[in-house]
Amino acid sequence: MLNEYYPSLAIIKEIKKETYNTNTYSLKFTDSKFIKNFSWNPGQFMMLSILGVGESAISISNVDKDNLINATVRNVGNVTNSLFSFKKNDIIGVRGPYGTGWPLREIKGKDILLIAGGMGIAPLRGVIHYIKNHKEDYGHFEIIYGARTPEDMIFKYELETWMKIKNSSLHLTVDEIPSKNPFECKIGLVTSCFPFMNTHHSNAVALICGPEIMMRYVAKCLETIGFADKQIYLSLERRMKCGIGKCGHCQIGINYVCKDGPVFNFADIKPFIRPL
Amino acid sequence: MKSYIIEKNKLESLLDYFLKKYKVYGPIKSGADSKFDEIKSINDLHLDYSSTILPPKKFFHPSRQILFKFSIQKEKYLIQEDFEDEKFILFGVHPCDVYAILKLDKFFSGEFKDSFYRNRRKNSIIVALNCNQPGENSFCKSMNAGPFLKEGYDILLTDIDTKYLIEIGSNKGKKLIEGLGLAVATNRDVAEKQKKCKISDRKIKKILDPSWLPKLAEENLDHEIWIDLGERGGVADSFPCLSCGSCSLVCPTCYCYDIYDTLDLSLKHGSRIRELDSCQLLEYGEIALGGNFRKERKDRIRHWMFCKFGAAAGGKNSNCVGCGRCIRFCPSKIDITKVAKELRRRK
Repeated sequence: MLNEYYPSLAIIKEIKKETYNTNTYSLKFTDSKFIKNFSWNPGQFMMLSILGVGESAISISNVDKDNLINATVRNVGNVTNSLFSFKKNDIIGVRGPYGTGWPLREIKGKDILLIAGGMGIAPLRGVIHYIKNHKEDYGHFEIIYGARTPEDMIFKYELETWMKIKNSSLHLTVDEIPSKNPFECKIGLVTSCFPFMNTHHSNAVALICGPEIMMRYVAKCLETIGFADKQIYLSLERRMKCGIGKCGHCQIGINYVCKDGPVFNFADIKPFIRPL
Repeated sequence: MKSYIIEKNKLESLLDYFLKKYKVYGPIKSGADSKFDEIKSINDLHLDYSSTILPPKKFFHPSRQILFKFSIQKEKYLIQEDFEDEKFILFGVHPCDVYAILKLDKFFSGEFKDSFYRNRRKNSIIVALNCNQPGENSFCKSMNAGPFLKEGYDILLTDIDTKYLIEIGSNKGKKLIEGLGLAVATNRDVAEKQKKCKISDRKIKKILDPSWLPKLAEENLDHEIWIDLGERGGVADSFPCLSCGSCSLVCPTCYCYDIYDTLDLSLKHGSRIRELDSCQLLEYGEIALGGNFRKERKDRIRHWMFCKFGAAAGGKNSNCVGCGRCIRFCPSKIDITKVAKELRRRK
């Protein structure tokens, strides 16, 4: 009988160090059938499991050629901490992908404003790659990416290619720049980039991912400059135990974040985004 | 389908017949209360019960379930699956609990089908018993879940004084009593059942209008009643909530669970386990780095109440059936019907 909780095995093909506490793992299923049938939407997540330690919901930051799955992980809990002791060619468990992902088809023809805070750029990286390859389907493309310090920024090696996307603009901002590490970016919250923004709300959608407190303020600021709730999409973080809309931990109002999200239209969940 | 009758003193032979073929679980006396447990003979059976401590949910969605076992070898994991195949009869279940099982059926058969639940459900036969003794806390009538059953049973018994009326609700039930040569019920027996139903209806003292509940949830997200219930003096003679989780533990429609791994002492073999969880507990809404989406007690009790009103993610599949267990076992005497009424009154 089918066991939904049964993870497939995957080999760690490559580990890329992003920052002092963040790695990107390239995973390949050991079963070639899974590799062939794998399909995903940017914004979806996987349940990574380390047997004996537990499971954790990790967003897919990209899928390379040959269906090599990239999972960008920050070392913050039991499972992620244990994952950091794993080396190339070690085997871990993977379930998924789960969730809905960003509404890339629905927002065709619009200007895209992408706002990410810290690790929030990981589930949006797939969007950036998708739009880069399908630029003719979308209008102006603007990325605002904020992090604590330049050292905390991930995917720095890709910033240059992001900058080269046609008809696009990129703003980087950090909370502080330690004197030793000069880096070309603004200082301030992501919202401090709004005055320099090229996107006009009339034909735009905003895709936001970051800590919930950041998303709350970004959404508020976007509203003051004319964005309607319906034009705002955000990707939420919750503690998911099952990933398939059963265990209940990720409930928000009448939705499961794992099954009905993690990407939501702001209009649908507005009453439930509140101070922690 | 045809209905049958059986004299009360012949019930033993019926039970013995079941026991020959299946494991039978039913209500037994447990101190001053009753609980569902294995029945070995008619003497164990305690059919005059009002409500058990734990609902029969435990037979389908047990408090602890091994999802799979694994052993960690040097270079790879070996994983083996674990499915149980025991066929059993659930004897003497009251209508509120049957309705709760029907809700769980729907919940565990959604987009992702839960094999563990469905497997146990497939292996079970439900012999329900219409409720002639609704307790002082029952409000099943208001929630359209009793005290008499309309659907969801394989076999349904109704106590009509000296005999039981036996109704059949499925092919499983039909097969179970085939060839027993039971006497066919007369119109008088069926009329007697209707009479019993009315008497039982009248015994229910708690009444609630369920059509209001989803609206109450929608409009009262920030109502002060939640602060009263969580931090201040409680609502309608209750004490403030203690976040003990008893309500989820005894609720027949609470399904939430936690998943974790265990390892044995060799650190080589272990299992992934799911265990019932409660939204009333602080750890439930916790995320990495210590954030918590339901840190305040008022948020947690509100979430539980809304879930039982049918306004949480489980939707109608997790809403209340009015069995009254949460009222009975709440150490703070919180009464969900009183909270709902208070919400309406204080608008």
